[in-house]
Amino acid sequence: MNIYKPELMEVVEIIDETADTKTFKLKFKDTDAARNFDFKAGQFGEYSVFGEGESTFCIASAPTRKEYIECSFKQVGKVTTALRKVSIGDTIGFRGPYGNHFPIDDMKGKNVVFIAGGIGLAPVRCVIWNVLDLRDQFKDVTIIYGARSTADLVYKRELEEWKNRSDIKTVVTVDPGGEDAGWKGEIGFVPAIVEKAAPKAENSVAVICGPPVMIKYTMPVLNKLGFKDEDILTTLENRMKCGLGKCGRCNVGNVYVCKDGPVFTYEQIKKLPAEY
Amino acid sequence: MAEELLKGGNAVICEDEKGRGWKRIDSPSEVRINHNEVPSNISYKEFVFSKTEPIFYFKNRKENYELAEAADGNGKIVFLGAKPCDARSVEIMSKVFNWDYKDKFFNEKAERTIVIGVACSYKDEFCFCTSVNINPASPEGSDIFLVPLDEKEYAVRIITEKGKEFISPYLKYLTEGNAARSEEALGKIKWPGKKFEPGKVREWIGNNFEHKLFDEIGSTCLGCGQCAFACPVCHCFDIVDEECSYECGRRMKNWDACQFGLFTLHSSGHNPRDNQNKRYRQRIAHKFKYYADKFGEILCTGCGRCSRGCPVQIDIAQVAAEINSTANRV
Repeated sequence: MNIYKPELMEVVEIIDETADTKTFKLKFKDTDAARNFDFKAGQFGEYSVFGEGESTFCIASAPTRKEYIECSFKQVGKVTTALRKVSIGDTIGFRGPYGNHFPIDDMKGKNVVFIAGGIGLAPVRCVIWNVLDLRDQFKDVTIIYGARSTADLVYKRELEEWKNRSDIKTVVTVDPGGEDAGWKGEIGFVPAIVEKAAPKAENSVAVICGPPVMIKYTMPVLNKLGFKDEDILTTLENRMKCGLGKCGRCNVGNVYVCKDGPVFTYEQIKKLPAEY
Repeated sequence: MAEELLKGGNAVICEDEKGRGWKRIDSPSEVRINHNEVPSNISYKEFVFSKTEPIFYFKNRKENYELAEAADGNGKIVFLGAKPCDARSVEIMSKVFNWDYKDKFFNEKAERTIVIGVACSYKDEFCFCTSVNINPASPEGSDIFLVPLDEKEYAVRIITEKGKEFISPYLKYLTEGNAARSEEALGKIKWPGKKFEPGKVREWIGNNFEHKLFDEIGSTCLGCGQCAFACPVCHCFDIVDEECSYECGRRMKNWDACQFGLFTLHSSGHNPRDNQNKRYRQRIAHKFKYYADKFGEILCTGCGRCSRGCPVQIDIAQVAAEINSTANRV
């Protein structure tokens, strides 16, 4: 078996999230591959445009929704620029699912606090829908999401849906100066908004993903609120090529982020060399 | 014997005449067994872990992509004249290529290899095999092991079942040996002195990640990657697409090195190893700690190629020895 050979995926839907971010809905072209495909929240894949190369993104849709997978990507490099030019009906490559996953089963019966910044909502969204699709198995659900400006918020339609649900507490914020005239959400950086929202730490798990600077300043806030390091989960985004624990790129200390991660507790991360 | 070996559809790989690297030979006159000469500039790993190779081809017919498998050869890959510091390279690398997902591009070649090792009587200031638990008289990693007796005579030892099967058609070329004579020859080999204790180095790295020693060494490193390419066990690679024509292309697996700044650069611009000090630390830590912790093997065979070839004279054994003595001072 050739572990580097991708499955062919048809792009069946494209959503423009922001000026530079898109979400693709993908379906397997091969019916056997579609039937055999299964994944867990937090796993990722290698997406490719043939002739341009591969890029690593999480699977942004939830494993509870099986007919398709979704990925969201921001245009930053060669592959994402090529992906941006892809149209509905086009074919791209996909390898996966790779890596470990969020411990959904262990989170059952607990309060779950989701904290995300910018495009970091993509991997968190996968867990959010996983939890919401099994809503009665979890206690309180809190979602705190921030972006630089209202124009940078992704999954806007879903943020609305979450805000309108009475069984979730949803707080959306933009950085100061990033609000527009009609903005009704919070204004402020994520760490401050987390402190203000003050989700309770007892019997809770926090799932956090976003820019390194956001994570850096949110962690102490969570600790202050009483969250223990082992109850804070995040997903590392090291550069990868193979996704299979071979090419060496994502090696940090004794772990390969692509195999031993990408999901780590804050407790595990503290033990790693600071190379992520 | 060499003639028959070459006819059998086997790729016989020997060190080239200039000592640059290894090459597939076409005639018995090219056989070179350099047991008493400096190791070639680069190792023979490229015959198992290719410098560059296609992992599949794609054909773009508008919306329809067809993926075709990359073909691989068959027939044995015979490394003739592997010193003990080369002989173990394939089995050491095979850990990372098989710890979970299996890399068939590596495995299909690795399975076809026959290592005909040779006891090594070369030794210079860069050799340090004994510091990484290998020695110049060791048949470890070899399927067949040659012990030089004099200019033209070798004692042939069959080490593995694979070696036994391989050599059976050629037994007619061999004469009855004298074990005492080859033992005597092996006994005369002078081993390089032990420069450091790998367990000490491993332990120290784990506790001293931010030590200034890494900054001192890293600041002289040019980041050229010579060390990784020359190394018999460095195995990092890149995956890139190449267009063959307007309508088709191929995805390639190419050698890469952790010494390059782009290796870990995130698309956001963030780089977890953003200077050469960190990148050199990665090289040392991966070899002596991470790989050893994860796979139970030191990612180094003590051949000294990286040090001999380094344009700024960084000697990996000296670095490890310095770590060892720093650890002893604490």
